[in-house]
Amino acid sequence: MRALKIAATGMSAQQLRVETISNNLANMSTTGYNARRAEFSDLHYQQASRPGTINAADGTILPTGVQLGLGVRPTAVSVHLAQGSLSQTNGDLDIAIEGRGYFEIVLPSGQSGYTRDGGLKRSADGLIVTSDGFPVAPEIVIPEDARSISINADGQVFAYFSDAAEAQLLGEFSLANFANPKGLEAVGSNLFLETEASGVPIVSAPGEDGLGTLRQGYLEDSSVDAVREVTELIEAQRGYELNAKVITAADQMLAATAQVR
Amino acid sequence: MDNTSYTILTRQSGLTREMSTIANNIANASTTGFRQEGLVFSEYVQKVGRNDSVSMATSRVSHVRGEQGALIQTGNSFDLAVEGDGFFLVQTPDGERLTRAGAFTPNHDGDLVNMDGYAVLDVSGSPIFIPPDSVGIKIAPDGTISNQGQLLGQIGLVRPTTAHDLTREAGVLFSVKNGHEPVVAGRVMQGFLENSNVNTIGQLTRMIEVQRAYEAGQSFLEQENDRVLNTVKTLIR
Repeated sequence: MRALKIAATGMSAQQLRVETISNNLANMSTTGYNARRAEFSDLHYQQASRPGTINAADGTILPTGVQLGLGVRPTAVSVHLAQGSLSQTNGDLDIAIEGRGYFEIVLPSGQSGYTRDGGLKRSADGLIVTSDGFPVAPEIVIPEDARSISINADGQVFAYFSDAAEAQLLGEFSLANFANPKGLEAVGSNLFLETEASGVPIVSAPGEDGLGTLRQGYLEDSSVDAVREVTELIEAQRGYELNAKVITAADQMLAATAQVR
Repeated sequence: MDNTSYTILTRQSGLTREMSTIANNIANASTTGFRQEGLVFSEYVQKVGRNDSVSMATSRVSHVRGEQGALIQTGNSFDLAVEGDGFFLVQTPDGERLTRAGAFTPNHDGDLVNMDGYAVLDVSGSPIFIPPDSVGIKIAPDGTISNQGQLLGQIGLVRPTTAHDLTREAGVLFSVKNGHEPVVAGRVMQGFLENSNVNTIGQLTRMIEVQRAYEAGQSFLEQENDRVLNTVKTLIR
C-alpha cells in the first residue's frame, strides 16, 4: 500500500513546518532575526501509463496517461529577508542597519562571520566586539579617555574628548553584501557564514552599492510576524491530522485485504 | 478462478491506485504550485465465448486540476505567483520545464533560480541576471523586472501548445511533449506564492468513498470464495 508511505512523507513535511514555526516564534525577540519558511515540492512520479502511449493501431494516443505521485519532500527552509522594525535603546554602541548588508565579524578561527545584530560592546582593550566578544572588522579601538562616541549613517566613528572640542575620527564601519543572502549558512548566535550558494562578500561603506545605512542608538527587532506564524501553525496542524487520517484509512484497507481467505 | 474474481480484482487494484493518488494530494496540500491530480476510470470490455462479454474498470488516464490555488502573501521580492493561465519556464539539466511554483531567489552568480537551483528563463528563453547591488526590485504584472527604473528583463510565461499535454515530474515541474507557446495576457504577482490547489475536504470525502468501496470489494471476494467452496463441496458429496 503506497498510500501509507505517501501519507508518512506528508506527516514529516508538516512536522518540519511546525518545527520551523516554533523556531520563528521562539526567536520573536531576537535582535536582527529573520523568519524562516519551509518550502516543499512533490516527489518523483511513477509513470503507470505514460502520456502519449499509442492506444490503437490508427495512432490514437493516451492524452494524459496515469502518473502516480509518491509524496512530498522539503526543498528549502528559506529566510524571509525583511527589515525588522527599529527600537530605540540609546546605547552608544547599539547600531541598526537600515537596508541591506551585514557586519563582518572575525571569529576565533580567523574565519569571517556576518551578522545583522548590532548590539555591539566594548572589550577590555577598547575594541568594538559583538555580545559574544568577537571583534568587528575592520577593527576599531575606542580610547579609554573618550567622553562619548558618535557613529554617523555612513559608518564613521567619532570620539569626543574632554580636552578638545573637535571630534576625532576613530575608524569606519563597513558592511558586507551577498548576491544571494538567502544562501548564507546560519550558525546560531545571530551569525552567518559565507557559502558556495551565497557568493563572495561585497564589502563597501554603508550607503554605497545598494547597502543600508547605520543608525546609532537603535537595534533591529526580529521580523517575525506572530499572526502569520500562528495561522501557519493551524494549517500545519490540520495538515498533519489529514495525513494521519489517510494512514488510518490505508491501514483499514490493508486489514480488509488480510481478512479475505 | 473465473471472471467474477478477475473483474473485482481490476476494481480493487484501481482503488489502491486512487488511494495513493489521494494520499499524494493530501501530502502535497502545502506544496507551492502543486496541482491536484485525479484518476479517470474507464470501462474495458472483453469478449468471452460467443455472445458474452465482461466489462472491467481500469484507470487509464489521470487528470490535472487546473484551477487557481490560493495566493499567499509572503512579501519576498522574488516570490512570484501566476494569476490565471500560464507557467514559469525553468532550465533543468533535462531541458526546459514548466512550473507554477514561483519561490525564486538570485544565486551566487546573481542569476534568478528556483529552490532546486534551476535558472528561471525570460521571454527570450535566457536566464535573468539580478545585480547584487540592486535595492528595490519591482516585478510588474506582465513580468517586467526593474531596479530603480532600470530594466533588467521580463519573466517568461508559457503554456503547453496542446491542452493537457503535461507530464508531471518531481519538484513541481511539468514537461511538455508538443512544445510551449508564450501566454500573452499573463499576470504575475510579486510578493505572493500560489498554494497548492488541493481541495482537502473533497479529497478526504473521496478517500472515505474509496475505502468503503474497497472493503465492499473485499467482502464480495469473500462471498465469492464461499460460493465456489460450497459448489465444490456439493459436487464432491
